[in-house]
Amino acid sequence: MFALDEQAFTFGKFLTQMQDDALLIKQLQAKEERALSLLYDKYSGALYSVIIKMTRDEALSQDLLQETFITIWDKSHQYNPEKGRFYTWAYRIVKNKVLNYLRKNDILIQTDDLSVYENKEEPETINRNFLELNGAITKLDAHHQKAIELVYFKGLTHREAHAQMDVPLGTFKSYIQQALKQLRNTYTKIVVVLLLMIDVM
Amino acid sequence: MMTKKELLENGLLEQYVLGELDAKQNEVIEKLLKSDAELKAKLEDIESSFEELAIENAILPPDSVKSGLLSKIKIADAQISPKDSNNSRTWLGIAASFAAFFLLGSIWLYSELNTVKEDLRIVGDQNEALQKDLDGITKNYDEVSKWYAALSNPDAEQYILKGNALAPEAKIVSFVNHRNKSVIINAQKLPNLDAEHDYQMWADVDGEMINMGVIPKDAKLMAMTYIDDAESLNITIEPLGGNDHPTVERLISNVYLD
Repeated sequence: MFALDEQAFTFGKFLTQMQDDALLIKQLQAKEERALSLLYDKYSGALYSVIIKMTRDEALSQDLLQETFITIWDKSHQYNPEKGRFYTWAYRIVKNKVLNYLRKNDILIQTDDLSVYENKEEPETINRNFLELNGAITKLDAHHQKAIELVYFKGLTHREAHAQMDVPLGTFKSYIQQALKQLRNTYTKIVVVLLLMIDVM
Repeated sequence: MMTKKELLENGLLEQYVLGELDAKQNEVIEKLLKSDAELKAKLEDIESSFEELAIENAILPPDSVKSGLLSKIKIADAQISPKDSNNSRTWLGIAASFAAFFLLGSIWLYSELNTVKEDLRIVGDQNEALQKDLDGITKNYDEVSKWYAALSNPDAEQYILKGNALAPEAKIVSFVNHRNKSVIINAQKLPNLDAEHDYQMWADVDGEMINMGVIPKDAKLMAMTYIDDAESLNITIEPLGGNDHPTVERLISNVYLD
């Protein structure tokens, strides 16, 4: 029950964040520093996690996170809420930035089988906990979990990831779709539980 | 043209959210999303699942990243703003020029005002002096007119009083008007007296001397009191301020009226 409470709390917090975003984004686009500061507070953790899992380098991740928010600040006018969520837009900026950096510095070495990091030694500075996954994804089947990890947290394309997992592309796509479906169910259950709790209260 | 079914089966929405697609594919999907509410709802599910996944896995970055970010943005703003500050400096310059112009203008106007005030004061003084002159002239004119009217009056009869042995050089011209009942004399040729004495004029009515008044020492023409039925006009020397009764011993002149 405690775990559920925690999840409900997380999701409640998440719902609140969603509601406030529209206003915050308008303020961001009007170049209000306060809005950038609040959006940073909400999303920097999620984005930092993605960057760390992609680069496996904390110092570099911090630089890239800062650069990402500078891009968000400079290009805020390019974000269109009708095309998708703010977080999705920010995630794409992060992914492009990290992949560009890795390519430019030859850290990302693409081999014939399109796997990445093949020749890269893991830096010792990284906190191992930062590479572990938490929450609903840990309840997924191992291959679903892996598929999501590759495309989402490691920034691989479907095409690269299916090669890495050594399954056909179609199979890999269905892994992703099923994984997302299960995640969706888990998150929806949280909403239902949350609503029930509100009813009970 | 891609159909909705193909789009869903190929997992293109997931790849769209992950930013894997090229610009052309993105454009096609965005077009479909605009017209298809079901597709849009599906996209939102995928987006929020990824977002929740990310939030559940959030790692708190060190505070230095945020402080660095905010100070970099301030520096960037400061670099953009020189144009602004230049601009505002220009405006400030223009404003200062105007202020200086108005200040100088005000000083000039103030000095002009003082000059005009001084001129006005002088003109006022002159005006006052002229008014005084005019008053004097008018007064003189009235006086002269009055004397002239009296003297030129056809009813005025002229009598000349000549000095006797006591004052041989004395001569007084008098104008008696019985109609107006007025007596005017010209005492220009009366010898000067000492400070303790005055000339006084008397009318003789049936042997009694009646006072017509003391003759002022500084006037040339003067009106005396007209006395009915006067037989003669007489002038005596009396103590200063005149006397109740004439000092006959000091009579200097007389004339009989017709």
